[in-house]
Amino acid sequence: MVDIEMDETWKKEFIERVEKDGPWSSWEMYELALESAMHLSIPEFDGLQAPKHLPHLTPLPHQLEVAKQVIENMNGKAILADEVGLGKTIEAGLILKEYMIRGLVKKALILVPASLVSQWVTELNEKFFIPAVQQRKSYVWEQCDVVVSSIDTAKKSPHREIIYKQQYDMVIIDEAHKLKNNKTKNYEFVQNLKKKFCLLLTATPIQNRIEEIFNLVSLLKPGHLGNAEYFAKTYGKTRALQTNEHLKALVNKVMIRNRRVDTGIEWSKRHVKTVLIEFTKEERELYEAVQALKYDGALLFDKPFSLITMLREACSSREALFVTVKNMLDKHEGEIPDSFSKLMEKINTVSTNSKAEKALQLIQSIQEKVIIFTEYRATQLYLQWFLKQHGITSVPFRGGFKRGKKDWMKELFKNHAQVFIATEAGGEGINLQFCRHVINYDLPWNPMRLEQRIGRVHRLGQTSDVYIYNFAVKNTVEEHILTLLYEKIRLFERVIGQLDDILAKMNFANLEHYLQDAFLHSQSEGEMKIKMENIAAMIEFADKLANGGETYAAT
Amino acid sequence: MQQHEIQRFLERYFRANECDILETDDGYMKVQLSVEMDKELMNRPFYWHYIERTGGVPAPMQLTLITKQTEKTNSLEGERLHFGSPRLHQIFRSAQKRGSFIRLYEESSSCEQTHIPLHPWLGLNVKIAYQCDRKKDHILSLGLHLISGTIIEQFHDRLQKLKLVPKIPDYCFTISPLIKPTSGIGRLERYIQRRISQDDHTWAEQAKKRWAEDLALLDHFYEGMEEKPECYYIEKEALKEQYKPRIIVSVINGGLFYLHPRT
Repeated sequence: MVDIEMDETWKKEFIERVEKDGPWSSWEMYELALESAMHLSIPEFDGLQAPKHLPHLTPLPHQLEVAKQVIENMNGKAILADEVGLGKTIEAGLILKEYMIRGLVKKALILVPASLVSQWVTELNEKFFIPAVQQRKSYVWEQCDVVVSSIDTAKKSPHREIIYKQQYDMVIIDEAHKLKNNKTKNYEFVQNLKKKFCLLLTATPIQNRIEEIFNLVSLLKPGHLGNAEYFAKTYGKTRALQTNEHLKALVNKVMIRNRRVDTGIEWSKRHVKTVLIEFTKEERELYEAVQALKYDGALLFDKPFSLITMLREACSSREALFVTVKNMLDKHEGEIPDSFSKLMEKINTVSTNSKAEKALQLIQSIQEKVIIFTEYRATQLYLQWFLKQHGITSVPFRGGFKRGKKDWMKELFKNHAQVFIATEAGGEGINLQFCRHVINYDLPWNPMRLEQRIGRVHRLGQTSDVYIYNFAVKNTVEEHILTLLYEKIRLFERVIGQLDDILAKMNFANLEHYLQDAFLHSQSEGEMKIKMENIAAMIEFADKLANGGETYAAT
Repeated sequence: MQQHEIQRFLERYFRANECDILETDDGYMKVQLSVEMDKELMNRPFYWHYIERTGGVPAPMQLTLITKQTEKTNSLEGERLHFGSPRLHQIFRSAQKRGSFIRLYEESSSCEQTHIPLHPWLGLNVKIAYQCDRKKDHILSLGLHLISGTIIEQFHDRLQKLKLVPKIPDYCFTISPLIKPTSGIGRLERYIQRRISQDDHTWAEQAKKRWAEDLALLDHFYEGMEEKPECYYIEKEALKEQYKPRIIVSVINGGLFYLHPRT
C-alpha cells in the first residue's frame, strides 16, 4: 500500500475560522480558487503539459519527442546528445519546465561553461518562464530555486559545501563531455551531487573513447554499464561504441541522439568553396626553413609534434610562428642553433601575408558579415590589425572571455562590425545565425571541431544559404589536409552525424594522430602520399559500412 | 485554457476583489487595482511601507492585461497573458489563497414564508496527487451531511445549481450539526483513504520496480567495496526521492453549507 500524506494546514485554519466565525470568502472567489486548481491539475501521468504553458514557443517535433522520451521512458535521467544546432537547450528547457509544472522539480541546479551562463539564464526566463538566476553571490544557492552557474565556481569552497546542503530535484549539465575523466575534480564534484533527475548535454559523445562513455553514463546512472571491473572485462577490447551492438543498445537506453537527417527539417544549403593561396617568394622560403628543421633542429622540440604545429603556423601568419619559435628559444638553454637564427631572419624578411590579402579581397567582395576562424591567437591579432588598416571593423572573440564579454562581443558584431574573428575555443555555444559567411582561415585537423565552427551559423534559425570558404596554401600541409579530409572524403558535404559513425567504425581514437604520423614520420613525399591514401581508403570503407553499402548522396 | 477563458477569469477575479475595471474589450482589459490588490500582486513592499510611514496618499497601480493580439491591443502598453505567464500563475495562487474557506446558506426559491430548516453540510474540494518519478492529479469534491453522516461526491456540481448567500435568509433557521467540523473532516479523510485504496495502483508497483532495478545497478556498481563511498549513499537517497510512490492529499478549499433538506 502506498503512503498517503494528508495535508493538515487547511484543517487547522478552517477550525479557527469556524470558532471565530470568519472571515469567509465570497462564492465567486471560492469558485475561482477551485477553477485555478483545476487548470493547474495534471490529468495524466503521460504526455506533456509544458507546450500549453508555452504558446509562443514552437518546439520542433524531435524536441518534443525527446522531452516525452526522457520523462516517460528514461525516468528523467538522460544524456541529450543531439548534433550541434538541433536545440539541446530547448529540449532541456522543456523537460525542466514539464517537471516544474508537475510539481516534481522545485529546486534545480544548472551547470554550464562560464561563457554560457547568461545565455542559459536568458533562455530559461524568456522562452520558458522559468525564473532562473545567475549565481553571483553565495546566498543565491539557498534563496533561489533555479540557479545557473559554471562548474568551476560551483566546485570551489564555500560554494561546494553550500551546494551539497541543498536538496536539488534536478541537475542539468551542459557540455558534459568535459566530465569524461573520472579522476578530475569536476567529475568528483558532480558525482557527489544528489541527482534525482539529471540531464547531461553533449554534442560529441560517440567520438569519445569507450571508457569516457563509461564514465559519463556512470555519473548519470551508476551501474548501468556495470562496475569498472565488469566493464573493462566485457568491453575493454571494444574501441568504439558503434562496434558493439549490445553496448550500443545499453547506452541508447540512457542517451538520445538526433541527427539533422532524421529531423526532417529543411535545412538551408551549405556552399563550400576551396580558396587556394599562392605563397610569395619570402613566405615560401620561410615555410621551407621550418621544414628544414625536421633534420637539424629536432633537439629543440619539446613536444614531438611541434614541427607540424610550426608548419601549420607558417601557413597562418608569421606572427603565429614567431610566438612559438620565441617560446622555444626562451626555454632553450645554451647556444641557439644555426637553423633557428636563420628562421628568425626569414620571419623578419616576410613583409606580406598572402592569405590575409586573399581574406581581405573576399570580405570586400562579400559586403556582408563574415566570420573568420583561425587556430592561432597571434593570427587573430594580426588579422584585426590588418583589416583595420583597410577600414574594416572587426571583433575578436575567444574562449577565455568572461561571461558577459562574450555576449557583449556578439552584440558588437551584430550591430557594429563587419567581421568576427574567432579562435577555436571561441566556437562553443555562441549562436551567430545572423551571419552566413564563414572563412576557415586555417583548417582544424579534427573534423568535429570544424563542424562546431560551422554550427555557429548553420543551425536552426538560419534561413539563408551558408557559405564556407576553406583557405589553404598550395604545396603545404594545408593542401594535403584539404585534399584528404575535405575533398577526397567530401567531409564538408556530409552530415556530421555520419562522420561520427564513420570515425567510430574506423576505430580512429584520434584522426589527428594518424595525420601527424603521416606527416612526421614519412621519409619521403611519396611515403606520405601513400599514408594519406591509406587513411582515405579506410574512411571510405567505414563510410560504406555506415551506409550499409549504399552511397550517400550529398545534399 | 483558451485566451477568452483567461480574459473572463481575470475579469471575474478583479471584480470579486473589488477592483474597478476601467476598460474591457475584445482581448484586453484595464484595471484599477485596489490598495489590497496592489499589495497582493505588484510586489512593491517598500512603496507601501513608505506610504504607511509617511502617511502619504496611496496610489495603487493600474494594470493593462492583454489576452489577444488584435489591431487595438498591438498599440497598447501592457502585459500579454497566456496560460504559462507568471502573472496568470500569480493570480491563480492568489485566487486559491483568497478562496479557501467559505460559509454559505441556501436561499429558498419558493415564496412560502414558513420557517425553513437548513441542514449543515461540510464541503471539501481536494486534490489527490499520485506521485513517483511521474505525477498525476485527481480532484475530488465531497460533501458530508453533518447530521446523518451521508457522504456524496460531485458536491460542488450540486452547489453550483443552488442560490447561495453569505447571510442566513429570512424565515430560515439552521439545524446544529451533530457531527462537529473536526470530526467531519476526519470522516471525509477516512472516506478519501478508502477510496484511494480501491484505486488501481499499477503506477506505484511499476515505480517500485524501476526503483528496485536502479538500486540493483547501483549496488552492483559498488559491489565488492569494503566501505562504500559517500556518493553511494547520496545516490541511494536520490533514487528513493525519485521513485518512492506517494499520494498527497491536499485541500483546495471547503467550508460549511446550510442547505434545504432534499429527498
